[in-house]
Amino acid sequence: MDFTERSTRVYRTKQLFTKEELAAREGLCVHEEPPFCSAACPLKLDVREFVRLCAAGDFTAARAMLERITPFARVLAAGCSAPCAAACRLNEVGEGIDIAALERAAMRYGAPKSGRGMLRFRKKKRAAVLGAELFTLSAAAEFAQKSYPTEFYVPQADAADLVRACAPFLSEEDCAAEAARLKAMDLKVHYGAQITRELYESCRQSADILCLSRGAAKALEPAAEPDEVTLLCEALGALVRPAGEEDVLTALTDARRAGVSADRIAQGMDPATLRGEEGAVTSRLYTDLSGVAPSRRKTAGHALPTAEEAQSEAARCVQCSCTECLKACPYLRHYAKSPRLLTREIYNNAGIIMGDHMMNKALNSCALCGQCSVVCPNGFDMAEICRRARENMVDTGKMSLAVHEFALYDQIFSNTEALLARSQPGFERSEWVFFPGCQAGAVAPEAVERAYSDLCGRLPGGVGIFLGCCGAVAKWSGRTELWEETRALLANELAKLGDPVVIAACPTCAGVLKEAGIPKVRGLWEVLLEIGLPDTAPQEGARVTLHDACGARGDHALQQAVRKILHGLGCEVTESELSGDKTPCCGYGGLVSCANPKMAKEFAQSIAQSAQGLPVVSYCMACRDRIAREGVKSLHLLELLYGADAGSPPGLSEKRRNRLKLKERLLKEKWGEDLAKRPLGFGLTLTEEARALMEERMILDTDVIAVMQHYHDTGEAVEDLDGGLLVTRMRLGNVTFWAKFTEDAQGYTVHRVYSHRMTVETR
Amino acid sequence: MAGEQKTYYTIDPEGRLKCCKCGVPLVKANAVFGYLDNAFPVELPVCPVCGFVYVPEELAMGKVLSVEKVLEDK
Ligand code: SF4
Ligand code: SF4
Ligand code: SF4
Ligand SMILES: [Zn+2]
Repeated sequence: MDFTERSTRVYRTKQLFTKEELAAREGLCVHEEPPFCSAACPLKLDVREFVRLCAAGDFTAARAMLERITPFARVLAAGCSAPCAAACRLNEVGEGIDIAALERAAMRYGAPKSGRGMLRFRKKKRAAVLGAELFTLSAAAEFAQKSYPTEFYVPQADAADLVRACAPFLSEEDCAAEAARLKAMDLKVHYGAQITRELYESCRQSADILCLSRGAAKALEPAAEPDEVTLLCEALGALVRPAGEEDVLTALTDARRAGVSADRIAQGMDPATLRGEEGAVTSRLYTDLSGVAPSRRKTAGHALPTAEEAQSEAARCVQCSCTECLKACPYLRHYAKSPRLLTREIYNNAGIIMGDHMMNKALNSCALCGQCSVVCPNGFDMAEICRRARENMVDTGKMSLAVHEFALYDQIFSNTEALLARSQPGFERSEWVFFPGCQAGAVAPEAVERAYSDLCGRLPGGVGIFLGCCGAVAKWSGRTELWEETRALLANELAKLGDPVVIAACPTCAGVLKEAGIPKVRGLWEVLLEIGLPDTAPQEGARVTLHDACGARGDHALQQAVRKILHGLGCEVTESELSGDKTPCCGYGGLVSCANPKMAKEFAQSIAQSAQGLPVVSYCMACRDRIAREGVKSLHLLELLYGADAGSPPGLSEKRRNRLKLKERLLKEKWGEDLAKRPLGFGLTLTEEARALMEERMILDTDVIAVMQHYHDTGEAVEDLDGGLLVTRMRLGNVTFWAKFTEDAQGYTVHRVYSHRMTVETR
Repeated sequence: MAGEQKTYYTIDPEGRLKCCKCGVPLVKANAVFGYLDNAFPVELPVCPVCGFVYVPEELAMGKVLSVEKVLEDK
């Protein structure tokens, strides 16, 4: 199969999910849910942020938050029943945060808002408020703050009297402060007013918005009750607080409701419309408290704690949030977005017809490893979303070939040139076939060869060999066509061997083969446990850290088998923090190492860092390879078991050569066949510099050989008289490769290499 | 994007580049880069005899690569 470049001039999109599918996925992530404390506050204070500010000692900013949610913040601070504190998660492991005390501290130690407010134009619609109670006081202030010219009729003699009557629990100091605040408001208060039917009737005529104290309403119309939500009492044409709770928080919340109703009435709308979410809610947030030690309140039962007490009390807050997946996954940490948000952005990305697909890199940087669906309390599955997004983009011609081309041709190489599918010598058909996986042959060919010989010697019925790729590359890249082609190839080759039981060394291969519909697939480690470890297995053991393969997620039998084998080798196994089903990917999964090498490195680094200085043993060759690149001793279980340490990790070209050599060696040793190799017609040396550039720029030695062969055949090159180097090129597939070289009697020495995907033509 | 002439590369006027096959200095000539159905006119050193177009490393790994990346996300 060959891949041709797409055109950016084809404008096609396909919806990634239906609205329902999207909602079902987004709904699983509770990251943006409010914390428990905030959810309990009917005034919608962002309690978590308020407490954070207190912990930071910024009482001024904390105070400003209180003053934003209610006109009389001291009244709130003094009288709040603090349902937030009752809802605080810390109650489960000790004492919840004393939020009421923090409110009082903020009002005491925070500076009042400085500077004048915005200049506001008074609105046309007028409001009248009759009667004194905390609800009407607060409602009148709400209306005034909303710039409705407001007349407030109360029997009290002055502001202090009024505040004291409405909030008798206030200290003298607070009372004076709130009275001063009231006076500063753009609010006309008629002190010493008699609340009579005449006053009511005249206000009903003159005002657009009318609000009555419950006492005044009952005197006018004893049986009338307001609507619970809008507070509108139809019989009186006025906003009235409902019967029931008389506490401070309810009064202030009702005043807020009255404010919303006032806006609707002023707009000539039904006050029941477009109200948004009001009052307390229940939060679906998840917060893991397992690492939180129980602690007690630092406020020592003081109604007004000292600033220091308040700050250390606030510091106990754990800032509830759900970050389970972010804590575990380097990819999510890197993008620092909740899966909910990422999913929305990936969904939108798929809908872009023309222009930049800003999320392509992100959706190609997920390892498709499934860790999130295990660590998330709701099983959020980012892998499914990113994989489907890739398929969608490939399908609509929006996925760049450049992103995965190297890996795609690597799979094709594995399943053509490097493919070997044979029955054991002397057998027509095979009971078994050993499937080491493309990376095993690339990284540790010696260990593969020994394992194969061992299996041949100990399993009855013939053990075939299958050197090739399971098709993971096709699947991960979203190339469904190649995936189908690979499935057919696998089925066909296995049929020729007599449909044997596939013994997969790689957990990812095992999973992918099963997905490809191969009926009989078993893990190598379970088979080895059954037949016993080889006699040659070393016994001395060592202290090692075990890294579970992400391909083994959910396969507990496999995870256990590996541990038993390590035990049998005398190894003392240290489990890493995220082991078993929670294991992270090494960065090979999902082709991250191809699409975003930097991101892939972050994956491998996080594993290396958690190795606690011990050698890391893994049972996936990609893990082995990538962990070794992070400067940690890394061994695959095959290397350990068969005493064949493959040493430092191979380069890209070496990985291909190793696979070819393994095939050649097996063919020669088991079947006595020689692969005729055509020698190069020239000498070729690659300098250190050239080799480093080849790794960095993903250029293979076979590419360089083709370029030099072309020069050898045609003599086409440019001589740079300044640098003294010759430069030549050749187009291979979708890429033009260039080599800078010198030539002498020994042949060619290549110093630098580079490439570009653009074509170039003269006009 | 096609059409407008952009300066991707300025050629050393001294003719320090020579075509090995034809033995003549390369000259400044009009060329077109193409990628994913987009075309970019450019001046590059070209052999006047055989037409070998030279894309220097700095150009390939610099401007050309960055334009490729931009187009790949389209
Ligand atoms: S673990 Fe992640 S995906 Fe799951 S709810 Fe929490 S933030 Fe959302
Ligand atoms: S710990 Fe903090 S964020 Fe969590 S519920 Fe309590 S106050 Fe709110
Ligand atoms: S890399 Fe793995 S854990 Fe992270 S989002 Fe992707 S599938 Fe989930
Ligand atoms: Zn020439």
